[in-house]
Amino acid sequence: MRKLRLRIGALVSAAALALSLTACGAAKAETLDIFAMDTYMSLVAVGSGGYDALQTAAVEINRLEALLSRTKDGSDVSRLNASAGGEGVTLSGETAALLALAKDCADRTAGAFDVTVAPLVDAWGITTDTPRVPAQSEIEALLTLVGGEHLTVDDSALHSSQLPPEDVAAALDAGCAVDLGGIAKGYASDRVADIFEKYQLTGGTVSLGGNVYVCGTTGEGKPWNVAIQDPNDSDGFAVRLRLSDAFVVTSGGYQRYFTAPDGTVYQHIIDPATGYPARSDLVSVSIVTYRAGGDRQGTMADAYSTALYVMGEAGAAAFWQAHRSDFDMVLITGDGRLLYTPGLADTIETDGSAYACQVIA
Amino acid sequence: MLVKSSLKPCRWDLLVAGAVAALAVITGIVFYGAQTGGGALSAVITHRGTEVERIDLTRLTKETEITVSGVYTLHICADSAGIAVTQADCPTQDCVHTGRITRPGQSIVCLPEQVVIHLEGRSDDAPDVIVG
Repeated sequence: MRKLRLRIGALVSAAALALSLTACGAAKAETLDIFAMDTYMSLVAVGSGGYDALQTAAVEINRLEALLSRTKDGSDVSRLNASAGGEGVTLSGETAALLALAKDCADRTAGAFDVTVAPLVDAWGITTDTPRVPAQSEIEALLTLVGGEHLTVDDSALHSSQLPPEDVAAALDAGCAVDLGGIAKGYASDRVADIFEKYQLTGGTVSLGGNVYVCGTTGEGKPWNVAIQDPNDSDGFAVRLRLSDAFVVTSGGYQRYFTAPDGTVYQHIIDPATGYPARSDLVSVSIVTYRAGGDRQGTMADAYSTALYVMGEAGAAAFWQAHRSDFDMVLITGDGRLLYTPGLADTIETDGSAYACQVIA
Repeated sequence: MLVKSSLKPCRWDLLVAGAVAALAVITGIVFYGAQTGGGALSAVITHRGTEVERIDLTRLTKETEITVSGVYTLHICADSAGIAVTQADCPTQDCVHTGRITRPGQSIVCLPEQVVIHLEGRSDDAPDVIVG
């Protein structure tokens, strides 16, 4: 009997050996790479519903582009801009709600993020074939078209019991235009996060041109390793964060810029207060928000990353002090310092960073 | 008696058990070895959704030029340690501004021509996502 037990023992351990090899393998990951919303998007889904989740996400991203794009005819935003100075248009409840949220963000950031800055973005054309430095008089004239007061969204409909409301009236003053480029990708990341949740994925990553969402854990059950690009070294990372169910949105002027004939370098983020590309003392701003923090955390992170870049170091630090329970952030200054909020203390890896890293108290 | 003798382990049983254990060890080495065996670095170039080049950079012995053309033309320069877009006639120049990349997980993107150059390879410290 002892020998029989031995033999069974050998069989069990052999089976355990074989099993351990398959069980340790990373769970299957599906990937999707697409060009949409004027950026390159890369999505990874881990879990049994991964393929279907990504197909649904692709359909959703295309739907949002058709709704929110400024350059696509017939989109809600194109129709709104075309109606400027007229009687107004009716928008889908979804677009109206996003415009209302954008207006909220403009109020909270004292106009550092403002979707009505579009006429100035057009005048500079920094990300187009024909960037130029507009005349001071032109900038001053266009500045009068910037501001939340030029955009009216029928708030009453948004607060009605029917959510989302079918049609919401909106109007824009003559000459004005809105561009949701600073918030639409964040909104898309929120929508994809909803889809990942619906498909009960164990993990996934969403990278929509500077807007990242990490869902759950890696195939090995660990938090995701998110690296923030070093703005001064294309080949390096400033710091890494170990995150789950979190959004990370980075804004900076180090990749998209143009050099004027006189040698001046203009980065692409326009300061709605001056009408000029922001002359920030920050080179990179990363906002971190958490899915557990409530609705539209990705959208908010997107708007805040732009706003805090425009505000600069002192303004960003003051803004965080006033809203410290809402988000975490990593700032990289022009003089080589890296500042992060205490909420990231357990997730940030500063080893090997080229920057002097310090916690914001 | 017959039943009893068949339960007696003989040298063949030992051999089978040994073979199973050896197979497990070999599979283990192959499986984990493939994951951690560092050094390999490949550049994958996709153009408008289609993979057009896959280069094992570690095997390059000299600088190699790759050209991707469509509406715009990108001149790409690869060597055994990295890859960069050295010149492009696209309007934004983001791909040129990105500079040279050398680590698994990094990529260079040209939006106007829809070109993605992505570095693949095994590295213990490669991030899952890069933001910036």
